[in-house]
Amino acid sequence: MRAIVIEDDLDIQGQIVERLKREGFAVDSADNGSEGLYLMQEYPCDVAIIDLGLPKMSGLEVIQTLRKQGNSIPILILTARGRWQDKVEGLDAGADDYLVKPFHHEEMMARLRVLIRRASGWSDSRILCSPVSLDTVTQRTYVQDRELDLTAFEYKVLEYLMLHAGEVISKTVLTEHLYDDDADNDSNVIEVFIRRLRQKLDPDESLQPIETLRGRGYRFTLARAEQP
Amino acid sequence: MILTAIALERAVVKRALQAEEDRLQLLIYSLLAAVDRNHAGLSITIADERLFESSLLTRNSGLYAMLYNNSNEQIWRSQSTLARFPDDFSIQSGEWQFNTPEFSGKPYFQLIFAIQWPNVNDKLERYNIVVWQEATEYFSQLERFRQTLWTWLIVTTLLLLIVMYFVMMWSLWPLKKVGLEVKAIEDRKQSGFEYSYPLEITPLTENLNILLSQEQYQRQRYRNAMDDLAHSLKTPLAVLSGLSDSDKNGVVDLKTLREQVNRMNQIVSYQLRKATNVAGAKINKPVNMVQIITKIVSALEKVYREKMVKVDSKLPAQIMIRMDESDCLEVVGNLLDNAFKYSAGRIAIIAAMLNENEMELRIEDDGRGLEQEEVQQILSRGTRLDQSSEGQGIGLAVVADIVRAYNIDMKFERSEFGGLRVKLIFQTV
Repeated sequence: MRAIVIEDDLDIQGQIVERLKREGFAVDSADNGSEGLYLMQEYPCDVAIIDLGLPKMSGLEVIQTLRKQGNSIPILILTARGRWQDKVEGLDAGADDYLVKPFHHEEMMARLRVLIRRASGWSDSRILCSPVSLDTVTQRTYVQDRELDLTAFEYKVLEYLMLHAGEVISKTVLTEHLYDDDADNDSNVIEVFIRRLRQKLDPDESLQPIETLRGRGYRFTLARAEQP
Repeated sequence: MILTAIALERAVVKRALQAEEDRLQLLIYSLLAAVDRNHAGLSITIADERLFESSLLTRNSGLYAMLYNNSNEQIWRSQSTLARFPDDFSIQSGEWQFNTPEFSGKPYFQLIFAIQWPNVNDKLERYNIVVWQEATEYFSQLERFRQTLWTWLIVTTLLLLIVMYFVMMWSLWPLKKVGLEVKAIEDRKQSGFEYSYPLEITPLTENLNILLSQEQYQRQRYRNAMDDLAHSLKTPLAVLSGLSDSDKNGVVDLKTLREQVNRMNQIVSYQLRKATNVAGAKINKPVNMVQIITKIVSALEKVYREKMVKVDSKLPAQIMIRMDESDCLEVVGNLLDNAFKYSAGRIAIIAAMLNENEMELRIEDDGRGLEQEEVQQILSRGTRLDQSSEGQGIGLAVVADIVRAYNIDMKFERSEFGGLRVKLIFQTV
């Protein structure tokens, strides 16, 4: 997943970016509203964390501009002002959730995961495309009752594909959403991860969970299941 | 006043001059009535015996009349005329000319009328009738009039100015008193306006007194909040200080660190919110609580979308309450946030009038509810914040604080759905 952090306090920004990277996110960051808006308009991302009190352009203005442009990226606002007036203002402007500073990073991650799932149409922390299930909180994956041993990147690829189950995801999109800008991007690596995932998910090739569409990308073929 | 005097003077002078001109005109008409042919029949003359103005027959009477022919030769003069008056005038036939010349050091009125009279050959010839009236007395009277007018004008103006000055001083005295009392308030010699002001000024001083008392109240609140904050922070700071001093081979007790940071965060949030609540001050503008409830519900439905909470609300179009909007948002926001957080899927918001001005607002959920002990802890949390354990939110404590300051009755009960019911009873506007 790719996240953007727009926060003018560089210490807080650094802490959030570091935590997100540890959780497997590719991260862009900006320390003022204008730059943040530009990054969000130009580059794809799956979730945004925006501080309200930003220089050059306030967080509220950034959110209002994005929503006016039809951008529906889930947004979590950070505010030092804990009054309900400010929370309501931020949510009215188009944010999806809020966090009052200081906050625990665990809470931030939990809210971010909810927003990402919500944007893909999932309401539960467990994504179920029977017989494969993926728990976004514990980051554990199962086929029926068999737990899979996935590397960090394999998990990231599978999570992205399952969140967008049924959609065609190109290699470019996968690369943009899963890699940091400074990483060595080689689309062949994606092919290697897809092959390894297929082997782990479907050793006897009976499920065919990931379909390759030549020239277009990949699609997770197993249907979304209703949550029990 | 000066303009009036000038206009009056001009009007009087003009009227007087007009009167003189009219009088001399009448005289000339009477002279015309006395016009006759002379003995030779070649010219005209004025018969003295036909003159009714006796001044013309008395020498140096001050009224003189002359008749001139076309060549400006004097062909007749009244018996009163001894001197030779100037005859350098030119006037068209049928015209009148009124002047105020000086002659021999005296002012005169002069009226000239040019007539045409047929001669023996029936040819029209032009003649000028000139009348001179000595004007010394006229100008003396005029001068006396001017002096009287201007003297009384100056006296009246001075009197008016003095009266106006005193009236102004008397009417502005209350404003001056306001200024003096403001200075006394700034110098802390008094805390508000004490003087009994006229009705026109009373709304100003009363409202200023309200403003001053609100400011003093708020200032005291901030002072108290800062005192409480400083006092409350000492304990967690002491713990953190102890952590940094303890000898554990440089290993930091993260659990304790986190606990104390949480505690400090709660203390700061609570005391700052308490300090900035406006409750207790006089609120003039009521707010519509229903609008605030709607706003908060809409925001919380967004945040808690996954819970798919069903909100049943039975509210009138408006509930007007004399409360600061920000404080109302805090009360409603915290109560509803709690309801959404702990609800299993159902929330009810119901308002009912208890009597004419008293409203009961109920917010209930189907969550786990609160034990009596927990209720007591919440209600006393504000005063015991530095002693409480970590892990509990301060939202309900903030609500308890605010409603207490607005004399709103708040009760916690078990909801019919099994969760918590919070009841607020308050006066509506």
